[in-house]
Amino acid sequence: MNNILIISWYTLREAFARKVFIFFAAISVVFLIGLAVVFSLINTDSILSSMNPSGDKIVLEQAIIQIQLMITAPLSNLCLLLAIFSSASFIPIMLEKGNIDLLLSKPISRTQLLLGKYLGGTLVVFINISFLILGAWIIISLKFSYWNLNFPIVILVITFTFSILYSVVVLFGILFRSSVPGMMIAYFIFLILSPAIHFIKLQLQTLTGKEVLKSIVDGVYYFIPKTSELMGTINSNLGQGKPIGDVQPVLSSFLFLILTLFFCDYLLQKKDF
Amino acid sequence: MNAIEVTNISKTYTSFFRKHKVNALINLDLAVPAGSIFGLLGPNGAGKTTLIKILLSICFQTSGTAKILNENTGNYKLKYRIGYLPENHKFPSYLSGGEALKYFGKLSGLDGLRLDKKIDELLELVKMSQWKNLKVKAYSKGMMQRLGIAQALINDPELIFLDEPTDGVDPIGRKEIRDILLNLKTKNKTVFLNSHLLSEVEMVSDRVAILNKGKLIREGTVKELTEKKHEYLFEFENKIDDEIFFNLATQFNLAQIRDECYTALVIDSAELNKLIDTLRAKNLFIKEIIQKKSSLEEMFISIINEAEKKNNL
Ligand SMILES: Nc1ncnc2c1ncn2[C@@H]1O[C@H](COP(=O)(O)OP(=O)(O)OP(=O)(O)O)[C@@H](O)[C@H]1O
Ligand SMILES: [Mg+2]
Repeated sequence: MNNILIISWYTLREAFARKVFIFFAAISVVFLIGLAVVFSLINTDSILSSMNPSGDKIVLEQAIIQIQLMITAPLSNLCLLLAIFSSASFIPIMLEKGNIDLLLSKPISRTQLLLGKYLGGTLVVFINISFLILGAWIIISLKFSYWNLNFPIVILVITFTFSILYSVVVLFGILFRSSVPGMMIAYFIFLILSPAIHFIKLQLQTLTGKEVLKSIVDGVYYFIPKTSELMGTINSNLGQGKPIGDVQPVLSSFLFLILTLFFCDYLLQKKDF
Repeated sequence: MNAIEVTNISKTYTSFFRKHKVNALINLDLAVPAGSIFGLLGPNGAGKTTLIKILLSICFQTSGTAKILNENTGNYKLKYRIGYLPENHKFPSYLSGGEALKYFGKLSGLDGLRLDKKIDELLELVKMSQWKNLKVKAYSKGMMQRLGIAQALINDPELIFLDEPTDGVDPIGRKEIRDILLNLKTKNKTVFLNSHLLSEVEMVSDRVAILNKGKLIREGTVKELTEKKHEYLFEFENKIDDEIFFNLATQFNLAQIRDECYTALVIDSAELNKLIDTLRAKNLFIKEIIQKKSSLEEMFISIINEAEKKNNL
């Protein structure tokens, strides 16, 4: 355990030295300032009263939460893309000739190295996303004088989604000792595969017949990580303080993460350096 | 006791698509006595680094077994007792020399004041104290190498592997590194050294092995390897009579190089004395005898050449 924490801690330092934190912070600060400026220019009361002509308190709160989610949803997605980009090279750098030889000559197992880097990478992203989401949350809450205490949980959902995609990045990092293939696959899953399969599955549900096609799509659907649902429905449900709804995407994605990590470990154990 | 025991180890690297195969090590047997300095020599690509990496489970043998410190390789906890300086090692470039040692010290299970003290001690030993706080990325090649040696010693290892330790180090530094190695030996540590710099290996090693194309072609003490064949240069007053020369040449390994100059290859001083007696008995007047002791370097080149010839046959 100690070894895993040491590697994680130095992964944070590496990220810091590679300006990942400053880069994220800069983007976040620019966004947050932008948000604050826009908010200071517009009159929120008129927006709210148009959304909620009756002035009902519950409806008003719902409207504020909707605005909150509308603002942060695209931002969370952008964050996730940046997070994958900034963490993709942790594993390839560790596996470079000269680096890995040194690490493996120390009393640390390959599994510990893997988990240390994985945890470290996830922690880096967690910290950066927290900064942005908490910042946005505070600004929005101040502006509307309403504190949606459920909102910060969105940070966990985004980090969880990232950790699933990161396992894929790590897997391809080990296979190819390069950051690009893993990044491409992760982007592909997140931007194309997951939304597409989700969409196809919903479309097929409305059709009758086509049982074979349905079961194939179902098979693929259950196997691939469900980043689309996580960042969509589940994020929004939890952010609104509603129950999570269907837990299946969470569980099956988590299973995918665990299996991918086991496979990473298997590959790493056998690898010659 | 042996610190390292290698039995019948082979290593074949296969490329990703299994098109290329490299036999980096072929049926290698080797034993390194504990408390000695062992030098592994061999031309580029001989398999020296591969052997060390197998011993440290950085890569895995295709067949055979290896034991270090009387335990099977593969258990990572064994590395609490081992130090390693890889060839072309890289330290995290964002760390300073001192921080890098701290990182690897922590991974070696050290911490706190004890680690800090050890770091200062080692930086002093490799003469790097003044660069303790300089970022590693600003280090010169020789400074990297010195820091690498400090890193290999951070856990007070019983067994130390050094892959080309003097690579890029200036002559004074080399001398200092040799002294460090000899000092380790007095503390009863085992040092396994890979090097091209034969003259250096010669200076510190108790035993040497020569590896070529994955095969062990010689092993022994430096003395055994270099003194096996003494070559002597004889100069006589006059040229030796053909008939006498022919007689002598059947008994001794004698060859004429110039008019009055001959070379003789003898196994030991007994044979040398016998040769001198025979020459004197034939009333040959010897003007000068010069011993041409082959250095490890010459021996190395001739052994490699011999091995190449055999391969080509
Ligand atoms: N990861 C690898 N994949 C494929 N082949 C390799 C790998 N590492 C080494 N080899 C091959 O194995 C052989 C032995 O390499 P090794 O690095 O052990 O040689 P060496 O004796 O250390 O050479 P040098 O003196 O140049 O450091 C070489 O032919 C090399 O090309
Ligand atoms: Mg080498």
